[in-house]
Amino acid sequence: MNPSMRHLANWTILGLTLSFLIGPFLIIILAGASATDYLAFPPEGLTLKWYLKVFTVESFRASFLLSMALAVFGTLAALLLGVPAAYALNRYDLPGAETLRTIVAAPIIVPGIIVGLALLRYMVVPTGVTVTLALFMAHTALVLPYAVRVVSSSMTNLRADMEEAAVLLGCSRLQAFTKVVLPNIRGGVLAAFILGFVTSFNQVPVSLFLSGPGVRTLPIDMLAYMEITFDPSVAALSALLAFMSLAIVYTAERLLGFSRYV
Amino acid sequence: MFRNTREGLALALPAAIFSTLLFLVPVCILLSEAFRAGGSWSLQGYIDFFSTPLNRTVFLRTLKLGVLVAGTAAVIGYAAAFCIVNLGPKSRGKVFGMVVLPLMISPVARTYAWIVILGRTGIVNEAITGLGLSDTPLRLLFTETAVFLGLLQLFLPLMIISLVSAMENIPRDVIPAARVLGASWIAVFFKVILPLTKEGLVIGGTLVFTGALTAYITPAILGGSKVLMLETLLYQRVNVSNDFVSASVIAMILIVMSFSANLLLKRIATARS
Repeated sequence: MNPSMRHLANWTILGLTLSFLIGPFLIIILAGASATDYLAFPPEGLTLKWYLKVFTVESFRASFLLSMALAVFGTLAALLLGVPAAYALNRYDLPGAETLRTIVAAPIIVPGIIVGLALLRYMVVPTGVTVTLALFMAHTALVLPYAVRVVSSSMTNLRADMEEAAVLLGCSRLQAFTKVVLPNIRGGVLAAFILGFVTSFNQVPVSLFLSGPGVRTLPIDMLAYMEITFDPSVAALSALLAFMSLAIVYTAERLLGFSRYV
Repeated sequence: MFRNTREGLALALPAAIFSTLLFLVPVCILLSEAFRAGGSWSLQGYIDFFSTPLNRTVFLRTLKLGVLVAGTAAVIGYAAAFCIVNLGPKSRGKVFGMVVLPLMISPVARTYAWIVILGRTGIVNEAITGLGLSDTPLRLLFTETAVFLGLLQLFLPLMIISLVSAMENIPRDVIPAARVLGASWIAVFFKVILPLTKEGLVIGGTLVFTGALTAYITPAILGGSKVLMLETLLYQRVNVSNDFVSASVIAMILIVMSFSANLLLKRIATARS
């Protein structure tokens, strides 16, 4: 094959693959703008009314706020638990370090739907904890493995003798951590926050069973809405959410080279 | 390395305890439920589960779709990864970014697109009725094909990422050398590329397979109750019939499968270093 033929073949394969991966989003953006009362593609007439309607649906507003709150506070809580754990696993010679690592990473291996069901049945029902609190804890636990992994990998590049030097020069251990370690792993912590936020916000299976009257995460609410209504507003909302994720990831990539950490 | 073990444990234990209480304990109780089905410890829950034809069908379908999706992803993944590695550095980053981006987008949004494509008034049906191939729209949603397409779109990026990073490690001149020495492209693939990217293939394959196995949204939206998979069956069993024994059996199947896939991954990762 001559070079220009090969070039053409290369881009044909890539073009097909990328349109399979990305095409659906373009379709969804347009389908959300269709003037019909039902889903149609190609759109029949263009309108922004479905994009605007999304903001007026009461349950979407409530579930969006819940999902946001879960993603922000769940991820913060996971970092609060995960940063010290990652630090300890990297810097200390701990007995059973491998077991600790496995326990902290376990939530990734167990399918979310099972976790949600188990929490509902053996925590919410017997103890009477509210569903919201259970959701918060489930999302924290879900993000924890990512927090530990991303922070760990940014910590392995940091030489331990810098802290030792700080301690020798008169810092307390806590000061050595806040003044030497933390500034150096800041990028990793931020990357972990973003990854955790996106993971938690998009998470469905964990929250499937953990929903009660008026307590639903946004993806679950969309699933429920879809079952009764066929108008294009879910397409519009899906498109808006896709834009939101892209904006977050793009900003993160620009500001801190997000992909280095993930 | 610091020697103060107590200090280290104080830092690491909160995370471990949290994870134990919220994950290990409730999940283990759930798993034990199937063994306590008849009032005493037995395998009765499992026997009952597998003696129901529907459950067997769903179990086999989940396995089949998992394997099919992983296999197709591998074929497309090799072609795409090979092209990406051959790009110039600038367009390589851009194309790679476009492969990764969908992973950051809500699976609900990603799956919903297929309703637009395959639905009664979707593109495919509009084309079919428009061309006069059929008078009535075909039922494309709620079929195994729909679930297959949805899953493939969801997890293909994982395969491409794994294969690209494996191919980047193939020494530059190996493939031209094999060609110069007379190997056909087929021989190059099976004797050079495949052996050198085996690890990437296994990693990508496991990620795609476990992903497909444990996906909920795709079978729920595109398969509905016509094409149940293990996850949607579990949901139905709990919500419709309050059947926690079946739920526990399905949970065990899913955990055993994704756990063994993870063990495999770990072994490969350690064999390399």
